[in-house]
Amino acid sequence: MRHLYVHIPFCHRVCPYCSFYKHTPGNTPMAAFVDAVLAEAEMAGRDYDLKLDTVYFGGGTPTALSEVHLERLLTGLRERMDLTGVREFTCEVNPRTITDSKADMMRAQGIDRISLGIQAWDEETLRTLGRDHAPDDAEETFHTLRKAGFRSVSIDLMFSIPGQSLEAWRGTLERSISLNPNHISAYNLNYEEDTEFFERLRKGQYRVEEERDADFFYAALDQLNSAGYEHYEISNYARPGYRSIHNEAYWLGEDYIGLGPGSYSTAKDHRWQNIADTNRYIELLQSGQSAAQPGEALTAEQRRTERFGLELRTARGLPESLVKAPEQRMIRVLGEEGLLLVENGHIRLTRAGKPLVDSVAVALMGA
Amino acid sequence: MPIENTRNFSIIAHIDHGKTTLSDRLLEFTKTITVREQQDQLLDAMDLERERGITIKAHPVCMNYKGRDGKDYKLNLLDTPGHVDFSYEVSRSLAACEGALLLIDASQGVEAQTVANLNLALQQNLHVIPVINKVDLPSADIEKCKRQLEDILQLPADEAVPASAKMGIGIEDILEAIVAFCPPPKDPGDGYLRASVFDSIFDPYRGVVSYVRVISGTIIRGQKVRLMASGNDSEIKDLGTFRPKMVPCEKLEAGDVGYIIANVKTTADVKIGDTLTESRKPAPEPLPGFKEIHPLVFSGIYPVSTDDFEALKLAVGKLQINDAAFTFMAESSAALGFGFRCGFLGLLHMEIVQERLRREFNMDVISTYPSVIYDVRKTDGTELQVDNPTFLPPANEIEEIREPIVKVDIMIPNENIGDVMQMVMDKRGVVNNTETLDDRRVLLHTVLPLNEILVDFNDKLKSITRGYGSMDYEHAGTQPAELVKMDILIASEPVDAFSCIVHRSKAESRGRQLCAKLKEVIPQQLFVVAIQAAIGGKIIARESISALRKDVTAKCYGGDISRKRKLLEKQKEGKKRMKSIGRVNIPQEAFIEVLKNN
Ligand SMILES: Nc1nc2c(ncn2[C@@H]2O[C@H](COP(=O)(O)OP(=O)(O)OP(=O)(O)O)[C@@H](O)[C@H]2O)c(=O)[nH]1
Ligand SMILES: C[S@@+](CC[C@H](N)C(=O)[O-])C[C@H]1O[C@@H](n2cnc3c(N)ncnc32)[C@H](O)[C@@H]1O
Ligand code: SF4
Ligand SMILES: [Mg+2]
Repeated sequence: MRHLYVHIPFCHRVCPYCSFYKHTPGNTPMAAFVDAVLAEAEMAGRDYDLKLDTVYFGGGTPTALSEVHLERLLTGLRERMDLTGVREFTCEVNPRTITDSKADMMRAQGIDRISLGIQAWDEETLRTLGRDHAPDDAEETFHTLRKAGFRSVSIDLMFSIPGQSLEAWRGTLERSISLNPNHISAYNLNYEEDTEFFERLRKGQYRVEEERDADFFYAALDQLNSAGYEHYEISNYARPGYRSIHNEAYWLGEDYIGLGPGSYSTAKDHRWQNIADTNRYIELLQSGQSAAQPGEALTAEQRRTERFGLELRTARGLPESLVKAPEQRMIRVLGEEGLLLVENGHIRLTRAGKPLVDSVAVALMGA
Repeated sequence: MPIENTRNFSIIAHIDHGKTTLSDRLLEFTKTITVREQQDQLLDAMDLERERGITIKAHPVCMNYKGRDGKDYKLNLLDTPGHVDFSYEVSRSLAACEGALLLIDASQGVEAQTVANLNLALQQNLHVIPVINKVDLPSADIEKCKRQLEDILQLPADEAVPASAKMGIGIEDILEAIVAFCPPPKDPGDGYLRASVFDSIFDPYRGVVSYVRVISGTIIRGQKVRLMASGNDSEIKDLGTFRPKMVPCEKLEAGDVGYIIANVKTTADVKIGDTLTESRKPAPEPLPGFKEIHPLVFSGIYPVSTDDFEALKLAVGKLQINDAAFTFMAESSAALGFGFRCGFLGLLHMEIVQERLRREFNMDVISTYPSVIYDVRKTDGTELQVDNPTFLPPANEIEEIREPIVKVDIMIPNENIGDVMQMVMDKRGVVNNTETLDDRRVLLHTVLPLNEILVDFNDKLKSITRGYGSMDYEHAGTQPAELVKMDILIASEPVDAFSCIVHRSKAESRGRQLCAKLKEVIPQQLFVVAIQAAIGGKIIARESISALRKDVTAKCYGGDISRKRKLLEKQKEGKKRMKSIGRVNIPQEAFIEVLKNN
């Protein structure tokens, strides 16, 4: 087992578009929470042969934990697991959740990569998103992180947000580039069920417009490419040498173990989720039980579908050998239509094919 | 009961004039049904009949009635459909009767099928009793109806019974009129059994049930009987009358209407119109049979899922058992796979069959654009009949194509003459003459290609005349026409399911219309898709569907890869419900949408 994910489900304010398992801290006993995660880490250490390459602290907002609690979590983790082989240790950070000393502590505890949730640089879009930071807060946080000397700082952006103009999006890209992050994730806003945004979409207050999405997507592709960022996955751009190893592991179908409430794990064709209820999670671990819920056994066909869906997203592409004989006709058809090309035994999407990755994946499967 | 006390009558009228509702009242008045059994349009037993509020099949019922004269009467009523597609049901019912109630909706007056159905009754020498129904309506105009009875139908207006089937007004008067004016059946009295089979159905529990009208002799259980046309011998297992459910009885005698169940296997063995007689002592000659009915409209019916072909085969077979007018033959289509070329009496009949397949047999079907049957003479002198555009020979091999034509009588208010004539002309028809019916209405005698009146003719007529126009039609042979086959190409692939035979003068507009419709219903694909209409190799209309540009749900799914997979699986599943035409995937709904709307 080479990849570890730790889910910290706290956010100071809950964003109306977000469907991750998270909640405001309320009166969650934080010390008990940290102990619970550490207890779970200990169990994982017993159950799996951990040879960790990557660790990822995500959320929620990991930095919603106080410096003291976060430090206890980090040291505790190192006491229970061998992290010496870790090549990438990422932590998600929200603007306004970090100080110089917290950043230094994180750096000292081995975190070498930051994913900073900026989302947008204009106030109007930030307001639509319900974010609790102003553009300058985000910039300040960015400099704090830089000063602390993390090997890689990545920023998250979102596009095609209601009311966001193409100009505003270009401006967001521009200002992001000017900060010279090592990595940029640019996500098309997705209307997730059980979110306020989805409700508004359903009521007709918001609309999904594919043409607009395409324009925003290409704006990012062109601007980031010409600024020297390589498009290595549909939503991800990196300076050479700064791809996210942890995320690439997901995209290539490798196993990973998740800790914390609501986290997912996949090990040996088995996938499950931890109970998405922080209090129950703490109780279970306090009483020495596992927080894992019954999951699903993945069939070969399901894994194949996942590989189509994920590997086509990557710059390397989908191994041609995964395509069965009757499906090969579609490789030719979609090739002729300029959506993909085959190189070194891999099917890669062209510029025209990239924003159509799901459709291409479906077109290729069971053709 | 002596035969003098039996009365057999049909209720006939234009569609919706209230036949089935009147039947309800007659059944109630004669206590054939109990209060508890009462429900509106009781005889419309099929779900479809109830939902659409129309009668599709003729329904017989036997009632007992004590007349004002104190005598007991046996009344056999046959409720008939009003829609022109089912006029053969009316003819067959009339053949079992001596009289007919002709209903006229007091607010509508005489309409086209009033005339047509009256003529059917008169041809069979039936006594016709006019009933002016719906007198409860504020818009009822009894005087006008009486004038029309005299002027248009040449029936004595003073014999007309005013009634309201809905409110139960005039019901006893109607029954008395039947007793008084409808002649009792006449028994030739030569001792031979003669019974006319006027319908048959397949009951899953009891097998083939034949509806009979006994002309002479007696039918009893255990009797050995013969169908004279087919020569089949069998034994009577059960018999009875409709009340309105099937109730067994001891015997059916001259003048009676009822049912028999004999040991025959399939309805194919019981030809409608055949004469039932005794095997031991067959009648010297059969009764006059019915005119054979031929389907006029054809359409391919295909299972949405190709795996369902066998199930569809079973279903159409079963349907035909209860619907002799429906025909089918296996065929295949490059676009739709294996299915059946089916024949119908008209568009309503077609819709009903499709609907029954969906409901009663749970079949998901697609049907192709309805077509008529064309007589084609090739340049080499050979002749063929084409009911499927796919089989039309190439234009250079065709000497002549003849299309079926129909005589259409259109009854309309004076003020709509101009518009209706224009419509007839637009539909390639001719108006032979115009008959003035009274001071407000005219009857246009027209001839039109059947093909042109199939789909929207009646709807257009209704809308031009604000509901006051009505029509009736009958087959009138064929005539040569300049017809061409139009193909639809999607991404350069011809899609046979969309091919059609059209008149040259209409090809272009039809082609444009079809292309536009297809553009609307075919979802965007990963690439630009051209839609073209072509005659021979020549493109006469085109549209193009722009390519999809973006679909990614670009969210980082974190570890929740299952979620992503489920989305893909759902789309893969959706693909199974699509037909792939070359490189284009067309959802079944698109076929249905286009084929139903054109
Ligand atoms: N006001 C009023 N409505 C009536 C009367 N008789 C029938 N109707 C209505 O007219 C409509 C058609 O009645 P049906 O009895 O189904 O007519 P039908 O002649 O059997 O129709 P088809 O079998 O389709 O030819 C229904 O909505 C009835 O309720 C009547 O006497 N007065
Ligand atoms: C796991 S989230 C948490 C990050 C962090 N809490 C924050 O909000 O800055 C990681 C990223 O997912 C993206 N994201 C969240 N909800 C999204 C949605 N509905 N559609 C597209 N991207 C979304 C945002 O860019 C967010 O930064
Ligand atoms: S987007 Fe980030 S801050 Fe907002 S609710 Fe989701 S996890 Fe919390
Ligand atoms: Mg009726």
